[in-house]
Amino acid sequence: MKKRLSMGFAATAALALTAGLLTPAQAATTVVVWADESRGPNLVKTLKDKADWVDGVEIEIKSFSGFDALKTAIDAATATSGPDIVVGANDWVPTLAKNGKLAPLTLTATQRAGFSASQFYDLTYKKKLYGVPVDVNNVAMIYNTKLVTSAPKTFADMVDYYKANKASKSLKAGLCVAGGGMSWGAHSIASALGADAYYFNPDGRINKSKVFNPNTLGENVKKYLLDAKKSNGFLPASDTGCKDNFLAGTVPFAIIGNWEWTDYTAKGFTMNLMPVPGVVSGQSGNAFGSVSGALLTTFAATRGREAAAKSVLTDFFGSAAGQVAYQKYEKRPPAHKGAASSASVTDGQKGFGASAAAASVPQIGAILNGSGKSYWDSLPAYWTAVLVDGKDPVAEAKKLATIYRNNLRAAVNDI
Amino acid sequence: MTFMLRGRVAFVVKAALLALISAVLLMLTQSAFGQGQYAIAFFLAVAIILLNFTYFNKRTVPLKFFIPGILLLTAFVVTPILYTLVMSTFTYKTGNYISKEQAISRIQALAIEPDENGSAFDIVVGTYQGQSAILVSDVLNSSYFISTQNDRIPLDVATLNTDENGVAQGASDFVATASEDISGSEAAKLRFKFRDEYFISVESLNVGVVYRQSLEYFPNVDQFKSLIGNAVYVDNGNGNYVNTNDSADKLEPGWRDPAWFSNYLRLFQDEQVRSPLISVFIWTVVFASLTVLTQFSFGLLLALALNKPIRGRRIYRSILVLPYAMPSIMSILIWGGMFNTEFGAINEIIGSQIAWFQDATFARAAVILVNLWLGFPYFYLVCSGSLQAIPSELMEAAAIDGANPRQIFRKITLPLLLQILSPLLIASFAFNFNNFNLIYLLTGGGPKAQLDGEIAGATDILISYTYQIAFGTNIQDLGLASAISVIIFVIVAAISLYGVKKSKVLESFS
Amino acid sequence: MCLFALFPLYLVVITSFNESGSLKVTSFLPTEISFENYKLLFNDERIPYLTWMKNSLVIASLVAVISVTIGAASAFAFSRLKFKGKRFGIQLLLLIQMFPAILALSAVYVIMERVYTFAPEIGLGTQTGLILVYLGGAMGVNIWLLKGFVDSIPVELDEAAKIDGASAVQTYWLIFVPLAAPVLAVVALLSFIGTFNEFILARLFLVGTESRTVAVGLQQFIGGQFSENWGPFAAGSIIASIPIVAIFLSLQRYIVSGLTAGSVKG
Repeated sequence: MKKRLSMGFAATAALALTAGLLTPAQAATTVVVWADESRGPNLVKTLKDKADWVDGVEIEIKSFSGFDALKTAIDAATATSGPDIVVGANDWVPTLAKNGKLAPLTLTATQRAGFSASQFYDLTYKKKLYGVPVDVNNVAMIYNTKLVTSAPKTFADMVDYYKANKASKSLKAGLCVAGGGMSWGAHSIASALGADAYYFNPDGRINKSKVFNPNTLGENVKKYLLDAKKSNGFLPASDTGCKDNFLAGTVPFAIIGNWEWTDYTAKGFTMNLMPVPGVVSGQSGNAFGSVSGALLTTFAATRGREAAAKSVLTDFFGSAAGQVAYQKYEKRPPAHKGAASSASVTDGQKGFGASAAAASVPQIGAILNGSGKSYWDSLPAYWTAVLVDGKDPVAEAKKLATIYRNNLRAAVNDI
Repeated sequence: MTFMLRGRVAFVVKAALLALISAVLLMLTQSAFGQGQYAIAFFLAVAIILLNFTYFNKRTVPLKFFIPGILLLTAFVVTPILYTLVMSTFTYKTGNYISKEQAISRIQALAIEPDENGSAFDIVVGTYQGQSAILVSDVLNSSYFISTQNDRIPLDVATLNTDENGVAQGASDFVATASEDISGSEAAKLRFKFRDEYFISVESLNVGVVYRQSLEYFPNVDQFKSLIGNAVYVDNGNGNYVNTNDSADKLEPGWRDPAWFSNYLRLFQDEQVRSPLISVFIWTVVFASLTVLTQFSFGLLLALALNKPIRGRRIYRSILVLPYAMPSIMSILIWGGMFNTEFGAINEIIGSQIAWFQDATFARAAVILVNLWLGFPYFYLVCSGSLQAIPSELMEAAAIDGANPRQIFRKITLPLLLQILSPLLIASFAFNFNNFNLIYLLTGGGPKAQLDGEIAGATDILISYTYQIAFGTNIQDLGLASAISVIIFVIVAAISLYGVKKSKVLESFS
Repeated sequence: MCLFALFPLYLVVITSFNESGSLKVTSFLPTEISFENYKLLFNDERIPYLTWMKNSLVIASLVAVISVTIGAASAFAFSRLKFKGKRFGIQLLLLIQMFPAILALSAVYVIMERVYTFAPEIGLGTQTGLILVYLGGAMGVNIWLLKGFVDSIPVELDEAAKIDGASAVQTYWLIFVPLAAPVLAVVALLSFIGTFNEFILARLFLVGTESRTVAVGLQQFIGGQFSENWGPFAAGSIIASIPIVAIFLSLQRYIVSGLTAGSVKG
């Protein structure tokens, strides 16, 4: 007994002593940033080149093994171990804000001027801004110049080309979605056929009551994508194999994402990028452009680091110089206007920029995530229903429109 | 080793080990207490007492064997179960996630509004005559002043040293705070005087923004009152502050509120939740049973076939075991690729165009097939060993009595096998009842008629359905998911206990 | 039969040699064999594959050994020793095993976060912490697997030892453990495999690139926001499964006898 007690006391005493010795005064404020498996290492490299973006503040990056891992971690994080900033998808903003995990920040007029208004849309919830846009993600349609000699002017041009050449060139499909999936990437197709996710008024604000006309979508689908009741093969209902087929030359048109353009140029494709042509000449389908944001958490304030974190956001993540330095490694189009014009803009990025300027809509999580059925699950279900299951396009379009309407109604106060 | 030494030496060694462990745990308890983690400190303290009591006491022999296991079990398995039980009685979902105090402080922090111009100024944070203050440069309007909590002191730009942008860097009686100290300083939380009800607060290290408070909290009546309009927000008993005149106007964020049995009631009353639950439950039972049946039969067949020594038996055995040894994540994903409609290997081999994962029946068949692939090696091994364990005299005696191989199998081998393997069959059933990985990775629970509003897919089992509710993309309803977990548990426990009783497995324990 | 077992594994192998990194298989015989994926695994500075393997092996081995020790001791106690509440205890353990652990992740995360505040060496983000969490489930799982075997050891051996003056603990170490060695090896192996492949908890706990396990590290290839790279994932999985398959094959004899030994009583 005695031995044990005395050992215990000795140990505690030792601990007390060492604890006293081990807490030196903090030299600098540290701001902790969480990022995923590709951004994290790239940020580390950026900071190695130059670390003193904010006076007296040290930026520490923690990289997670995957995007899902990052999401799970930020969902579970509390003030004890959570980050001060998290670099994540813009559609996390509404949920994390509702759960009290994100804190808003206010930018000065000068700072705001560096970005376009629609980029802030992505990161705003209930009129408060929760982060700064870091880089732009968008999709555009590319066509294979070896197969298609001139850019198609209407949707019908593409379909006719496919039907005419299907046998002779052994085409596997006409237009497929190689980047962004059947909800995000395929929005431009749905939009070209008459079904945008939401509409804007001329003053740039969301039209809070307009939803697409299901008859228009249904009829267009029947006319262009179906043959009798079955799919005519022009548009596959899933994105599997699209990239491989396009690269192999068996699909003439594809929707690709700006994060993968190097894969195409590496195989010798020229970046003939354009929006998806609409059914009427001169119109085109709107593609989603979204931004990834560096978001501010409430944990920063709890730990007395909020001002430092906000400085990191405005002076590093959201500054032209910071974005240029970061995109040197990340190689995505930066969101800041100053960075976009001065960074080493490659053909691929120029092409995407032009296409985005022609026809793009911001990704507004509050509406898309919805209250019951999200947009993300519903649009792919529509493609499957009409292209695979052979259901009536107009009836299914009506169901889709109802879902959109419900989501818009539920989100009206949040945007 | 300890048990070889008798008496004193053994005791000394045991005491020393225990002393070391207790010292470490004591240290941890102290630190836990010091950091305010009272629950953990309490647990550790109890652990120390229990460990010492157990190992120094001659009468607690059984405890000596399993006290470490029990302590670990309680810490990491029982606590989450209790947590789930408690959470099932709360409204705990997206928008009602944090505690009430946290919600109140968040609402207060969010209840600030910029002025009409969105004014923001360059500032330097520091102290003025001993008080926290900011040196403000409104460059656009050429207005410079020092702001403390209560005063605003205008300055003449001529007396200040400004940088090339016109931002004042210093003033008399003003001492700037070092950059690394600003964030944690008092100044970062203060509101500096501007005009009327507007104040300036430190936004980032060198920017201050003009705000005014839009809501005020009254703790004695637990209400928020709007300072701009007339709205009053009260606690609606369900985790939100709601405008008394407009029930749709809620303050965010909300908090998790005890809702007692409303989650459970919802399970029984809400059509949207109840009907998928029933169909998913039926499929889960069917899935688990079919899995066990197919895996067992297939494994048994193979065991019987390879029971006789044939050439290359060793090699066959090794190959047959491989599916079990490969990381299942990899295998399931490859199988998923194989079932692809256009490019998958299965359709290529059969020469068909079956949309495996878009059709409910085919998807279910695919799921059973893949699970068969994953699990038959286990049953093959197990049946193999069991067949060898059955004494051959029994079978020989039956043969002498004139029974043919079929009868021997049916009347002797099979019943004995079932008796031997029943704990494993039960365990396999329970495991597959909750086989989340397979469903999630292979079909994601689909196919689902999304547009018709279906929540549960054709291959969703209870646990994957619950997971969707808890961690889906839209509304994450953890309270409801916990309630479903508890219900699943009650059902599975009942079935397993019944199975255990029937197989008389527990007899061996009395 | 063997084709059925081998076919998907064959596809994994082909994918690992396929340069384009997609899961689609165009032909059954690989048109091109490229070692790109394997080279990537070992040469890319963002992928310290060998460190990951080491982490995985260390964690899985420690968990396997300790959990078998705990499980064996508990199984012995429940089988051999008489004490009140034994039946209730084993039923309780069974029930605890069956609880669907939906919120377990959040609960364990919060607990370990708090442990981190006062004991950073064993809290969130450390391998020790993760090992402790894995060991939480050790008792329940292993008792169930081992109980049959323990029952089969004749009670006479125990009684003989008692006559010789051995205490329960001595009986355990001197008689039971040597007899049970093959079974314990099997249970250890099963635990090893399970821990080796676990990635859901591990990816939350072991965040830093150097401290990850193989299962988590491989997730990098297919868990990205926009990209999926099946080639390196397949290559990594194959290499990761080599140690498991090797141990498995070498212990085959034990496994067959160990899983069912003792299930037949007399």
